Amino acid sequence: MTINTHPTLPEFEYVRPETLAEASEFLTRYPGEARPFLGGTDIFVRMRDGLITPNFLVDVKKLDGTNDLRFEPQAGLTLGAAVNMNRVIASREVQAHYPLLAEACRSVASYQLRTRATVVGNICNASPAGDTIGACLVFNGVLHIHEVNGLRQEPLAEFFLGPGKTTLKPGDIVTAIHLPLPPKGCAGVYLKLGRNKLSDLSLVGVTALGHPDPSLPSGYRFRLALASVAPVPLVPTQAETYLANQPITPETIREAAHLAAEACAPIDDLRGSARYRKEMVRNLSAKALSEVWEKLK
Amino acid sequence: MSLTRSTLWVGQSLPRVDAPGKVTGETQYSGDLSMPGMLQMKILFAGRPHARVVKIDTTQAEAAPGVVAIFTAKDVPVNEYGLQWNDQPVLCGRGQGEKGSRVAPDVVRFIGDQVAIVVAETEKAAAHARDLIHVEYEELPAVFDPLAAMQPGAPLVHPELGDTNICVHDRLRKGDVEAGFAKAEVIVESEYFTPVQEHAYLQPEAGLAYIDEEGRVTIKAGGQWTHTDRAQIAHALGVSDEEVRVIYPAIGGAFGGREDMSVQIVLALAAWRLDQLGVRRPVKIVWSRKESIIGHCKRHPMRLRAKWGASKDGKLVAAETEIIADGGAYMYTSNKVLGNTTITSTGPYFIPNLKTDVYGVYTNNIPSAAFRGFGAPQALFMAEMQMDKLAEKLGLDTVEMRRRNALRDGDTLGVGTPVPGPVSILHCIEAAAQHAGWEKEPDGWRNVKRENVQPANLKRGRGFACGFKNVGFSFGYKENSWARVELHGDEEIEGVVAAHAGAEVGQGTHTVMVQMVAEAVGVPLEKVTLMTSDSAGMGNPGSASASRMTLMAGNALKGAAEAALAKWEAEERPAIAEYTYRAPETTPFDKESGYSTPNFAYAYVAQAVELEVDTETGFIKILRVVSADDVGQAINPALVEGQIEGGVVQAQGYALMENFITRDGYVLTDQLSTYLIPTILDIPDAVDSVIVEVPSPIGPWGARGLGELPFLPLAAAIAAAVHDATGVWFDELPLTPERVLRGLGKI
Repeated sequence: MTINTHPTLPEFEYVRPETLAEASEFLTRYPGEARPFLGGTDIFVRMRDGLITPNFLVDVKKLDGTNDLRFEPQAGLTLGAAVNMNRVIASREVQAHYPLLAEACRSVASYQLRTRATVVGNICNASPAGDTIGACLVFNGVLHIHEVNGLRQEPLAEFFLGPGKTTLKPGDIVTAIHLPLPPKGCAGVYLKLGRNKLSDLSLVGVTALGHPDPSLPSGYRFRLALASVAPVPLVPTQAETYLANQPITPETIREAAHLAAEACAPIDDLRGSARYRKEMVRNLSAKALSEVWEKLK
Repeated sequence: MSLTRSTLWVGQSLPRVDAPGKVTGETQYSGDLSMPGMLQMKILFAGRPHARVVKIDTTQAEAAPGVVAIFTAKDVPVNEYGLQWNDQPVLCGRGQGEKGSRVAPDVVRFIGDQVAIVVAETEKAAAHARDLIHVEYEELPAVFDPLAAMQPGAPLVHPELGDTNICVHDRLRKGDVEAGFAKAEVIVESEYFTPVQEHAYLQPEAGLAYIDEEGRVTIKAGGQWTHTDRAQIAHALGVSDEEVRVIYPAIGGAFGGREDMSVQIVLALAAWRLDQLGVRRPVKIVWSRKESIIGHCKRHPMRLRAKWGASKDGKLVAAETEIIADGGAYMYTSNKVLGNTTITSTGPYFIPNLKTDVYGVYTNNIPSAAFRGFGAPQALFMAEMQMDKLAEKLGLDTVEMRRRNALRDGDTLGVGTPVPGPVSILHCIEAAAQHAGWEKEPDGWRNVKRENVQPANLKRGRGFACGFKNVGFSFGYKENSWARVELHGDEEIEGVVAAHAGAEVGQGTHTVMVQMVAEAVGVPLEKVTLMTSDSAGMGNPGSASASRMTLMAGNALKGAAEAALAKWEAEERPAIAEYTYRAPETTPFDKESGYSTPNFAYAYVAQAVELEVDTETGFIKILRVVSADDVGQAINPALVEGQIEGGVVQAQGYALMENFITRDGYVLTDQLSTYLIPTILDIPDAVDSVIVEVPSPIGPWGARGLGELPFLPLAAAIAAAVHDATGVWFDELPLTPERVLRGLGKI
């Protein structure tokens, strides 16, 4: 039983490399001892609680491109790892082209925390509860990763292996997330249920995105991503496929919500029971899909 | 209700005297204190619910870098303490301290029992050494469910105190219950469950100890009652009270949770023993939130069974009640808390026939003790729910039901003696009802029904509930409070120095004290200097609890001011007077019947709640709370509103959100990210404070008490509103979304 936590942070060494190569090299040299460091909103809490004890925090916030928030009309949005959520929310380009991402950022903790918290940090944390991951998934986000041998790109959909587990190896630094251009005429919504309204992790989070797609029998493609109901952020593909093939009606939306609930595998924890979560996935998915459908019609 | 004479300062919404320091960050709380040469301390908690300490090996820890000293049971002269009974070891283990001790000092009885303290040059060194202490335990069978703990053969938490875990049993016997039920038109029987509540004060426990210039062991740590802190420390050290000094820095909330000891005795022990070793250096400790949550007491969880009957005209005729409270591992203030549960279990109503049994039970859980309301919120949740259910069966409006049964002057309470008047519950009921939209019609009060214009899944409802509670200490305690007033000047009074050791725990008592002194002496506010919270050179203030400080400190300061003014008239310069106010006497319960005059004053409250239940998610949104509290005389109306709003929000957390989860004595919700309290976005859209002023004949300028009132009825009012919205009675708190959906049959 851990009751003897620190009222303050334990000691650690702060490292600020000059280049990405230097950072990767340092992280490779001290695997398990050194961690990349962005806003620190998660790392500091876990250090205080004695859950992790890194000797080095490697600040990657000043490195090449990590501060860029760049929208290219032909390519889409590139969000540097160090861009905090309040910057994302305030960006006119995000508001214009990816309002769903701004909405998801707004649901995270409090304003003060969002000045530090980053979308890439939220992703690398790999918590199934991550509020901004769903938006990045439904926009088909791709991670830009700097590794010792150079750069690689990795689709976000393949990134998560389990709670807190990703494909990242020692020395890997995620420098940005890239979101391709949003589908034409799309509309999205993020519904979050927390035990309180200001700071709780999501008990259940439902991200929904929809857009016209004449190639599909229903004429519309719907994307869904679910938070806090599986070991990793979950995309209920059965529900998506169902709505691609059925006319969109209140009944088919309810059925899709039911498929989403069936797809998830929530756990009982201090914040809520699996049974309650499953029921909430059903209710919130139906609500989210209906709201998106209202915007598309 | 107006004052008999116009007042200068009483009744004014003046800014708090402590506001500038707190707003600018200049004010020092316990955790901010530091002194040259200061050492850091860590406590080794037992971390197990029931075990015997067989052996403590500190050799490795003592050799660790930076360690100055390690102290264990063998260093505690008298290894026992407690506010009511000395049933808790200071440090668990064998040593010199068991001489004359009532309890086995080597037994750990809950996870937060303390086993050893480490003093080191840095916090990190202290923590490192603490983890090198090797303790050998013999695990003992434990008991966590109070109902199981009451059974014969259950593991005993304190075998040396008797062959049962039942540590409190209060009884009320009044009239003839069977005859009463025979007259009943309707009878309601229910079983209620109320949860643990964590105080969650902003400032976790912290403190600093040193030897002062007069050689006294001095402890600066937030508490609620300087003089009982001092007495408990002195007892454990085996020294006189005068050899110990307790000073309160600014205190970041208390709510009853700082009435019992946390870091004080071990801090004192460390500074005192170090001094004996030739190391005269201050010692500091700051608890983390986890240490705070496992290390201090909680609100008593209770199971309450009630069978109440009412006649056709809505008059209560009989009530039979059995309440079982989990007292946790030690007595703390359970005996007094449960006495108050017993008295308030009738609600503020006249019931001619009563049979009430209230039990407190030792378990291996965290001790239960004082928390705003002091046993009344649980009892009132039961009583007020019973009232609503009876009203429903009779087809009576809930307000009308209460009006018909409300205590009137001269009525006898459950304890068989008349309630001290004037009784103002009817004033509160009418004020709250009117403000919340009930209408008074010739045949009684009526709740005006509104149309539900919300989406189908949002159901609106309205609820009403009442509360009452003693002001001041009860059951034969010689209730008193000391003050000193000095008048300086020559021709005219140029400066007033008032001293009162009462604790400012955030409620605003220092501001109110300054206002009352200025009023009593008749000088501008700026002329008053208040000396606060130092056990050295100040008399006993009594605790910042039982909603008593305004009444008790006010009378003490007023008495001292009047005596000083008399000396001033007699040309004494400076004119200095001390005065101890003594409240009317009270008596303890008769063991069989409860017959007594347990209290000298009561205060009353009525609340109405309007809320919305989302039947798809189970979430409840509080739209409006109307709280009508009789404070006798508001010394500072803005502070009264602050107390009402704070009490309402804390009670909302209790009713809806705060879910303290334990498993086999271990706390699973040991952080504020797992144990949630309401945030600014969760609180009611509106809290309408209705200040009722029916003067108390013994209160200073008529003031009664306030601190606990707004907490008392809210949970019941919320549950009533949820019933109004959904048609379902919820008899167990908190009303988490899951519990609501289960109750609605949705999951």
